[in-house]
Parts: sequence; structure tokens; C-alpha cells
Amino acid sequence: MMPLFWIVSRQLAEIAEQMATSKKVITREEWEKRLNDVKIRKEDMNKLVMNFLVTEGYVEVAEKFRMESGTQPDIDLATITDRMAVKKAVQCGNVEDAIEKVNDLNPEILDTNPQIFFHLQQQRLIELIRNGKVEEALEFAQEELAPRGEENQSFLEELERTVSLLAFEDVSNCPVGELLDMSQRLKTASEVNAAILTSQSHEKDPKLPSLLKMLIWAQNQLDEKAAYPRINDLLNATLEDPAV
Amino acid sequence: MNSSNSNNGESNNGKSSSFDSLNQDLGLYFLELARLGSSKAPTDMEEDEEEAPKELNTINSSGGFLVVAPDKLSVKYPTINLHGHDVGVIQADKPVPVKRLLYYFEIYVKNAGAKGQIAIGFTNEGFKMRRQPGWEVNSCGYHGDDGFLYHGQGKGDAFGPTYTAGDTVGGGINYASQEFFFTKNGALVGTVSGEKEMKSRLFPTIAVHSQNEEVHVNFGQKKFAFDLKEYEAQERLKQQMTIEKIALPPNISYGLVRSYLLHYGYEDTLKSFDLASKSTIPPIYIAQENGFDEQDIVYALNQRKILRQLIRNGKIDAAISKLRDWYPQLVQDDKSATCFLLHCQKFIELVRVGALEEAVKYGRIELAKFFELTNFEYLVQDCVALLAYVRPQESSVGYLLEESQRDLVADTVNAMILSTNPNMKDMQGCLQSYLERLLRQLTACCLERRSANGDQGEAFHLHRVLNSGGNLKC
Repeated sequence: MMPLFWIVSRQLAEIAEQMATSKKVITREEWEKRLNDVKIRKEDMNKLVMNFLVTEGYVEVAEKFRMESGTQPDIDLATITDRMAVKKAVQCGNVEDAIEKVNDLNPEILDTNPQIFFHLQQQRLIELIRNGKVEEALEFAQEELAPRGEENQSFLEELERTVSLLAFEDVSNCPVGELLDMSQRLKTASEVNAAILTSQSHEKDPKLPSLLKMLIWAQNQLDEKAAYPRINDLLNATLEDPAV
Repeated sequence: MNSSNSNNGESNNGKSSSFDSLNQDLGLYFLELARLGSSKAPTDMEEDEEEAPKELNTINSSGGFLVVAPDKLSVKYPTINLHGHDVGVIQADKPVPVKRLLYYFEIYVKNAGAKGQIAIGFTNEGFKMRRQPGWEVNSCGYHGDDGFLYHGQGKGDAFGPTYTAGDTVGGGINYASQEFFFTKNGALVGTVSGEKEMKSRLFPTIAVHSQNEEVHVNFGQKKFAFDLKEYEAQERLKQQMTIEKIALPPNISYGLVRSYLLHYGYEDTLKSFDLASKSTIPPIYIAQENGFDEQDIVYALNQRKILRQLIRNGKIDAAISKLRDWYPQLVQDDKSATCFLLHCQKFIELVRVGALEEAVKYGRIELAKFFELTNFEYLVQDCVALLAYVRPQESSVGYLLEESQRDLVADTVNAMILSTNPNMKDMQGCLQSYLERLLRQLTACCLERRSANGDQGEAFHLHRVLNSGGNLKC
């Protein structure tokens, strides 16, 4: 049976260890007070929402929001309509139309973004194959895409992948079948959208999602140092009591 | 029936929320918010309050071992050095400011003297002012004679090129990465971990140690040779890229924007938004798990929209009249914050159109009674002050004439109507949208994180992020 001295000193050592490694605990009450002390301006939140609507290309919504809230869009709404027309054209597989529209908007965009131009051409090829126009597809691949493939290794690989679609009877099951997916169109549409925004000196991404990611990141970082009320359900912004 | 009277405090297991303390007059919340716009509001730009080094500190420098120019921005080593304890060391007049991402300063070597034993770095308060920065603990220095980096002891590590007369050398601190960094003639030389040293209060430090050495220092009064802004942008980008990789629940941004529109009663925008989401490719469906939550906020959407429009257009009488029809309980108590804000706004609108006599009359009837009440006093004073100016919009109380003030009153009325919803679970739901709560949480977390890091680094400011045109920082 251990002398009392040893028991006590061991307990003290345990407490000391707990204190050294334990995190600061912030009660719900204290945390709510801090939340309340934060100064957020309504105008700034409106700006954040407007930025989202504008970057996503919701012209009518942005216009209504301007009227109802008095917030000025950070970009000329007229340019959004043009940009959305391009995006829609790609999403519907009308690539030639999209290319024409982009060049109408700003011919430099495709000139200065060879990768995007290649992806658009690639999408054109995919659509030709999808519509069973084999001869036209091959001609297009050889005349338009092959020269670019020669300049760039990754273009060449992409080109070969795309052409290989022709080798399969049942394209839905082949290894490169995903090229025929809607997602491929969306990917290209997104790329073009971003390039247009950049050419208009506007950021290509809305700020809101980045802020949400930052929230997740900040909470994860803070978890290492403190126990505090977290928000795990972002959609409903519910504050949960700190795990003590 | 005013359901906001149900005391939430009791159902909270004794935990009180700051909203309970408002004593069910939610309007007071907005009254406090209005103070933000007034001149008496504390600014949140605390980073600007931190003083930065401007010149050299002649009080605690190494006395006879160096000569400081009258402008306190350059030093010379006058004699012949004899040993390692007669270094001419001098610190800046203020410690390095910490509430930012980076700090940086530069030196220009005018004369490398006999041995070129110049150093730039950082030292702590109480540093032995006869030793080169880096030769003692809690200090670090980049030495020109050997190009070595010293941090904490007499033996250093190979770090970069040597430097001599005609060179511009810079030293900096990166709080995000907890590193020191040094530059030579506009190019980055390298970085070194400074976690240990940064726990102390550090001062920018320069040193000279052989006859005729002369060094000029630049604390930012002149343009730096190094492109600090570019470097800062790159460092921010690094952090941003880590954050961008984080996955979000699908369509969460749409969900939050939608609930924001619902919360504030932007009905037309909401309808347009729902339409647009459906015709997006692919169509956006926002999971409404808490279907009944939405019921709460769809509540009185059209009425809230109408009232907001009236108030935003300055038609206060019409707004009050509608409120009397639809929600008489909200305008029953003439001493409530809501009524007060509406009366103030009416007064402001009269001043705006120049109907000053009518404004005075109105003020006597409706506003005078608020002079004695603590929470309301400042706003009455500011409103009345409008009368004193020929061009009130340019005065210190000009903020009252801005659209934001109208919007604030509209927000108040909006919240009050939401509070009459029998299904509204808690008062916070009336006051803050989910988006706002997330933004507050983000701000509070960043502040606490910074505090846990010895208060070093940047805090999060939504206003800055929106106006910076890009780089997010935390």
C-alpha cells in the first residue's frame, strides 16, 4: 500500500499535466458576448450578397437586389448578360456559337488563353462525336486540334483521349466515357466564365464561399488552442456548446 | 398578442443570452447599431493604433560606440574596434508592430569601413547593447561580413550573400509563418524560423562594428528596394490556397444568400433568385431540412417588403400608418426604441427637405421626451444637431442623412415584425440572419486565435475584405 505522500504527489503531477496540455475553455456566455461585440455593417453584408449574384451571373436577381437594397453592383450588369450567354452556349453544347460570342465580347480572351481555346475546340470535337458525325469529327481533329497538340504535350494527350471515344461501340462504358458527361461541358463553361471575368478585371470567384471556407479553417485552427462554442451546421448557423 | 414576451431566459437552463438582456425591446439592438455610424463610435481599425518604428532610439543605444545623426536615421562607428563587446548597436524607437501579417524595414550601407561588420536584425527589450544582434538569445541578425544568420548564440549559420557599401539590405517578420526574412537589393535572401524569438517584444536593430562604417535606415518613410506589397500578396496567396482546398457542403452559398434575402424581406429579389436557381444548369436545390424554419421567415414577407420600401423612400408617415393597421402592438408603446427610431427618421426627413420649422415642431412633440433616457440621448442630440448646419450632410452628424440610416430603421421594423411570429424560437432569429452569425463567428474565431498567438498577426475585417479587391486574410 502506497504511502499517502506518493498518492498525493502523483495526483498533483496529473493535475499539472492536465493544466499544461488542456485548452483554454470559453463558456457560451463569454463567447456570445464576443460575438455581439463584433461590428458588422449591413452595407458590407449587402455587398457580399451582390458580389455573389454578380459573379454567378444572375443579372435579373442582381438588378432586383439593387432596387430593393440600394446596393450598387461591383460590375456593369450589361456585361453579365453577355457572359452568361457564352456560358449557356457551352453548357448546351453550342461551342461554335460560344466561341463567336467570346470573340465579340473581347477577341483577346481566346488569344491570351490557349488552354481555354483548346478546351473549347475539344468540346466541339466531343459534340461531333456525340452526334455520330464520325467523318466530320476526324477531319476536325486532324485539321484544328492536331496542330495544337504538336505544340503542347498535355494538349496532345487530351486530344488522343478524346479521339479514342471513336474506338468504342458502347461509349457509356468506356474508360473515357466521362468526356461525354454534362460535367465536361460544365467544366469548360466554368473556365470560359472565369477567363471573361478576369479579362474584365473582376475576380472570377465570389467572396462568399471563400469566407465560409475560412470559417471552417479558423475553427479548426482554434480547436488546437481552445474549447469554445462551434458552428458545425453552416446552413443554420447553430452555435453548439463547447465540449468540456 | 406579443409572443416576444415569452421569456427565453427561463428555457435556457439559466444561461443568459445577450439578447435576453434587451428586455424584449429588440429595437434597442438597432439603436446600438446606429451608434456605429455616429462620430462617437469606436473604430475597429485597431491595427492602425499600433505605433510603428519611425527612427532610431538614441536613449538606450551603445553610448560611445556609435554616433547617431541628428535625424536619427543613420549611424557611424567612430573608433577602432577592439573586441566583441564594443559593437555599436541601436534599436528603433518603437517595437515591431504585431497586429499585421508582415513587418519590414531596410538599411543602406553608405560605408563599409575597415571590416564591413554591419548587421541588421531584431533584438528584444533589454538586449545587451554591445553585442551584435543574433549573438545573444532572443535576437537575430543577418551579418554583412560573412553573410551568416545569427540567432541566439555567437556561432551563426550560412544564410546568404555578404553585403557591403552600396547595398540595401532589409529585415522583416512574417507573423503567419512565424519567420524572419531578409532581403538584399530587392531580392529575397531567405527565411528562418523565429518562433522562439517572437515570444518577446522585438525591436528593429542595426549594428556597426568597425571604423568608419556608416549605415542609413529606412522605416518606410522612403520607398523600399524590396517589393514588400508583392511579397505580402504572395504570402497571403499561400494561406488562401490552403483554405481554398477545404470542401463546403453543396450549394451552401445559395442557401445562405436565400435565407439572407428571406430574413430581411427582400421579396422581389428572392422570387427572382428562386427562378434563377431553377434555370441554372444544373438546377440548384437547397436542402430544407428544417422546413419549419423557413415558415418562420416567410412570415409576413410581403408586408416586410412593403414597409422597407416605404422607409427607404423616406415615407415615414405611411410606414407608421401601415404598422398601425398591421401590427398595432409594435407601435403601441410610444417610448419603445422602434417608435423612437421612426420618429427620429421622420425628423431627419423633414430636415432633408429643408422643412426646418416643421422639424422643430415635430421634434418638440415627439423627440423631446427622449432627452432624459440614457439609450436614446445620443441619437436625439445628433438629430437636433442637424438643425445647426446650413449643409448638415457635410457635418459630423451627416451620417443621419445617409441611406444607411433609413436602412437601419427598415431593419428595425423588419425585426420587430419577425418577433411577432408565434413560431419564432429565439430572439436572435429576428435580429441576425444566418449569414451574419457566420461572419461574426469567423471574426471572433480569428480574434481568439490571434490572441492565443500572443496577439500577433492580422484579424479578420469583413469591410477590408470587401474593399481590398481580392486577397482574404486571417
